[in-house]
Amino acid sequence: MKQATMTCRPLLISLLLLAAGPGLAGSADPGSQPVREDELTVLLSMPGDPQRGQESYRLCRGCHKADGSGKAEAEYPQLAGQHARVLLKQMADVRAGRRDSPKMNPFIEHGEVSSQELADIAAFLENLPVPSAIGLGDGRQLELGKHLYLRDCASCHGPNGEGDGQRFYPRVAGQHYPYLYRETLESRDRGRRNANPEMVRVLKHYVDSDIAAVSDYMARLRPAKP
Amino acid sequence: MGLRHYPSMLGVTLLAVLSLPAVLTSEAGSTAGPDIARGQALAGGECAGCHGADGNSEIPTFPKLAGQHVVYLLKELNDYNQAHRASDIMQPMAASLSEQDKLDIAHFYARQKPAPGTVAKPELLALGKQVYLEGNSKNGVPSCDGCHDEDGAGSGKFPRVAGQHPEYLLEELQRYASGKRSHGTRVMRTVAERLTPEEAEAVSQYMASLE
Repeated sequence: MKQATMTCRPLLISLLLLAAGPGLAGSADPGSQPVREDELTVLLSMPGDPQRGQESYRLCRGCHKADGSGKAEAEYPQLAGQHARVLLKQMADVRAGRRDSPKMNPFIEHGEVSSQELADIAAFLENLPVPSAIGLGDGRQLELGKHLYLRDCASCHGPNGEGDGQRFYPRVAGQHYPYLYRETLESRDRGRRNANPEMVRVLKHYVDSDIAAVSDYMARLRPAKP
Repeated sequence: MGLRHYPSMLGVTLLAVLSLPAVLTSEAGSTAGPDIARGQALAGGECAGCHGADGNSEIPTFPKLAGQHVVYLLKELNDYNQAHRASDIMQPMAASLSEQDKLDIAHFYARQKPAPGTVAKPELLALGKQVYLEGNSKNGVPSCDGCHDEDGAGSGKFPRVAGQHPEYLLEELQRYASGKRSHGTRVMRTVAERLTPEEAEAVSQYMASLE
């Protein structure tokens, strides 16, 4: 509809623009732009409201649970306390088809949740306390896990697994072991298409048991909340 | 692309602003508050025949509307108009209602006390409870309480399911799965597709048992 208006009335639009001046530039609603590939930029520009987010989060609770703790045995990630920017990037990637999540896909489509709702949900989750009951591994390779983590992972994900929202590096501390194991494996094997290329390069040399060890170590990390 | 189209979008925004008074006028008719008495009178006509005078339908394939959420009721009435929800009975009725009619009727039903449901197959309640509260992660079925709450009360666009007729609930799950009901989104359709027939029947019985 907008396209038709644009092409049919260039003169009128130019006149209106001249009359309007620069003052109205901020009035265009980024949420209404059809530019999907830029969704992350749109999401990051929206201030999230944790209170509204709690209501919008209803749609997610069936899998990720009311406290954000997910479900270890189902490989549904724990989301409480995750950086909002990380959550937004991952949600934008799923929406844009850069990350496959067949179970979740239908629940995050445009039309079901708006960009503003995603921003609100991320703000809500970021403020939730990290639950203490987390799915862990067998605990037998923690020394190896620690060695690998500090050598290869800590520079991005933080010495205590706290992650870095600014750079979109997820908090891994207190994440469920089965989810970490699956996602790290998928990243190595290129199943997780939006994985950081640098991480994929490092993981190339990991055998499955290395991934299990480092996942178990990460699940047990508990950084002090800032 | 965003930058190239930006000036044009501004123009469109301006056009929208210029036509704002017309929009406001056309919406003014629907912004009056709900009139419960009028809603009751309207609902007492054609609606009551199937849904009961107080919204507690006695016919198992017609849903109870008593205590249902206003947002959901309005959404459904509008979905009939948009053919997101096919019904030879409801479509013409919904189409004949004005915005004010819908608002009044929805508020009337929302204020009625829902009657307890009837469980026909109590042997299915255990499985139904498991599906409702735990989902089935193997098939990617979320638990129902996420949206509809542990007690089935729901909220806003998520309907109350507690005490609803199990026959109606099962039929709707089947209609979602077969694409006859959509809401314009895939959420319930996805859930219904992922449920086994036995799970769908069991969870319908469990929802009927909730108060």
